[in-house]
Amino acid sequence: MKRTSNILIVAALAGGAFLASCGNKGAHHRKPGKIYVPDMYESRAYEFYNPRLASLKPVDGTVKRGAMLPYHLKAEDTAQANLVKNPLVLDEAGLKDGKRYYDIYCGVCHGQKLDGNGPLYKGGDGPYPAAPASMLTGKVLGYTEGRIFHVITYGYNVMGSYASQLDIEQRWKVVGYIKTMQNGGKAPEAAPAAPAADSAATTAATPAPAVAAAH
Amino acid sequence: MTGPALAGVEDRWADKKLLHSWIRNSAAVLKSGDKYANDLFNQYNKLPMTSFPALTDANIDDILAYVSAEAAKPVGGAKAADGATAGADGKEDGGNSLLFGIITLILAIVAVILMQINSNLNKLAAEKEGHERMEPVPFYKNKAYIALCIVLLFVVGGYFTIQGAIGLGRQQDYMPEQPIFYSHKVHAGINQINCLYCHSSAEKSKHAMIPSENVCMNCHKAITEYTGPDLFTAEGKKVNGTAEIQKLYDHIGWDKDAQRYTKPATPIEWTKIHSLPDHVYFNHSQHVNAGKVQCQTCHGEIQNMDEVKQFADLSMGWCVNCHRTTQVQFASNNYYSIFEKLHNDMKSGKVDSVTVEMVGGTECQKCHY
Repeated sequence: MKRTSNILIVAALAGGAFLASCGNKGAHHRKPGKIYVPDMYESRAYEFYNPRLASLKPVDGTVKRGAMLPYHLKAEDTAQANLVKNPLVLDEAGLKDGKRYYDIYCGVCHGQKLDGNGPLYKGGDGPYPAAPASMLTGKVLGYTEGRIFHVITYGYNVMGSYASQLDIEQRWKVVGYIKTMQNGGKAPEAAPAAPAADSAATTAATPAPAVAAAH
Repeated sequence: MTGPALAGVEDRWADKKLLHSWIRNSAAVLKSGDKYANDLFNQYNKLPMTSFPALTDANIDDILAYVSAEAAKPVGGAKAADGATAGADGKEDGGNSLLFGIITLILAIVAVILMQINSNLNKLAAEKEGHERMEPVPFYKNKAYIALCIVLLFVVGGYFTIQGAIGLGRQQDYMPEQPIFYSHKVHAGINQINCLYCHSSAEKSKHAMIPSENVCMNCHKAITEYTGPDLFTAEGKKVNGTAEIQKLYDHIGWDKDAQRYTKPATPIEWTKIHSLPDHVYFNHSQHVNAGKVQCQTCHGEIQNMDEVKQFADLSMGWCVNCHRTTQVQFASNNYYSIFEKLHNDMKSGKVDSVTVEMVGGTECQKCHY
C-alpha cells in the first residue's frame, strides 16, 4: 500500500514538473512552448499560412466565383482607361460601402474629408513627406471615373497599386463614392440626390443613384 | 473602454448646443469636423456613440444635471466600487484559485491543531486514569502524518500535472521576435492606419492575412526613416526604426536612393503567433462581417503593442464562453435572415436577444468537421 502511494506521489510530482516546464513561461514568452501531436498544429493541409504555399497568385485565366471579370488594361493604357465606365450602379448601400473602403484605404493619406490631408500627412506634420492629392480640388476633379479606377489599380507617382487590397468591385465602389462626393459637395447623405450638372469638370456621367446595385 | 467618464462633461464642452447635438447624434457632429469631437472619437477606438434622436433638450438637460449632481458627491464610494470591479474583471481565475488555496491551507492548519489537541487530551486522560502509556511514536513514523503528507503531495503534484497537460499547446502571451521590428503601435495607434488597410482579407476570407510587401511599399516608398517616439523591445533594448525600414528594403531589393527595385526579392519570414490546430475551423470574415466583432476583442489592444503577443489563449473554453454570452446583431442582418423561428420569437417577445449559441454557435460540427 505504502509503496503504491510512494510511486503515485513521485509520478505526480515528476509529471507536474515536466508538464509545467513545457509551457511557454519565461522572459517575455519568446518561445511558443511545447505542443502535443504537432501535425495538428503545423498544418500539412492546403492552408494559406503553409510556408510552401504562401503568397501564391491565382492561376492565370481564372476568375474567382462571384467576382467581377478582370480588368485587362495595362498600366500604360491610360488613354483607354479614361473611357472606362463604372459597371456598377450604386445605390445608397453601395455608396456607404464605397465610403467605408475609401476611409480605410484612401483616407489615411487623402483624408477622410477627401481634402488630401489624412493622418499620415497631417498638413506636413505626419510621417508622409509628399502632399497627397485632394479629391475635391485641382486635377483630380477632371479625372474620369475610369481614370480614378486606373490609378487605384496601378498607382500613380508615389502612390502604389491598391489592387491587392481592394478587389475590382470594391475599387469601383470607391470610385463611385469619390465621384458622388465631387458632385454632391461635402454632405454624403445629400449627395445621391444632387444633380451632376454643377460640376463642369466632370466628363463622365455620374452613377445614377438610388438604383439597386446590379452586377 | 467605451468612452470618457461623464463627470465634468459640461466643462469640457464649451458650446452647450454642440453638446446637445453630440448626444443626440454624434456622427453628425463628427462629420461637421469639430476638432474636440473627432479627437474624442479617435481616442476611444472610433467606437461611435449610439444616437438618441428621441431625446429632447429638456431630457438632455436633466441627464446633464444628474451627471453634475453625481459628480459633486464624494468620490470614495465610487472609487472603491470601481477598484472592485476592475479587480474582479482582471483576475477572476487567478483570484479564485488563490482563494481556494488559502482556504485549503487554513483548513489543514486547523486540522493539525485539532489533532494535536486531541492527542494531548488523550494523554492527559490516560495519565489521570493511571493507564500505562505507550512510548510516543516519533512524528516521521506517525502513520497519520505520513498519510497526510502523501495526500498533500499527491494533490499538489496532481494539480501541476493537470495544469501542465491542459497548457500543452496553448501559447497565451507568446511574443516571438519578428524578423523586422514592426510596431503595430506606430502604424495602427499613432498613425491611425485601419487594421483592414493591411489585413484586408479579414473581411473577405478565412484568414486575416499577412500583407504582402507591396502594401508596406504603398507608404514606405516615400517614408524612408522613422521619426516617431523611441522604440524599445520587450527586453528594453532600443530599436533603430530607420534601420528596421531598411531591412524591409533589403528583403524586397528596393534601392531607396535610386527609387527603384534593383535586387531580387526574398520573402520576409514572419513568425506566426496565433496558431489554431487543423481540427478547428475558424473564419475571420464570418466574425468580422456577420458577427461585427472588433479585432481587439480577440487580439487585445493591438494598437498599443509595439511587439504583438497572443492575447487570448485560443482554448475551446474561451471560444465557447464567448459564443454563449455574445449577443449577435440579429435584426437587420442578412446573415441571420434564415432563422425564422427566432425572428418570430423576437417579434412576439419570447426572447429579447439572440446569442451565438442560439444560432448554433456551440454545436460541435460548426467548428470541428
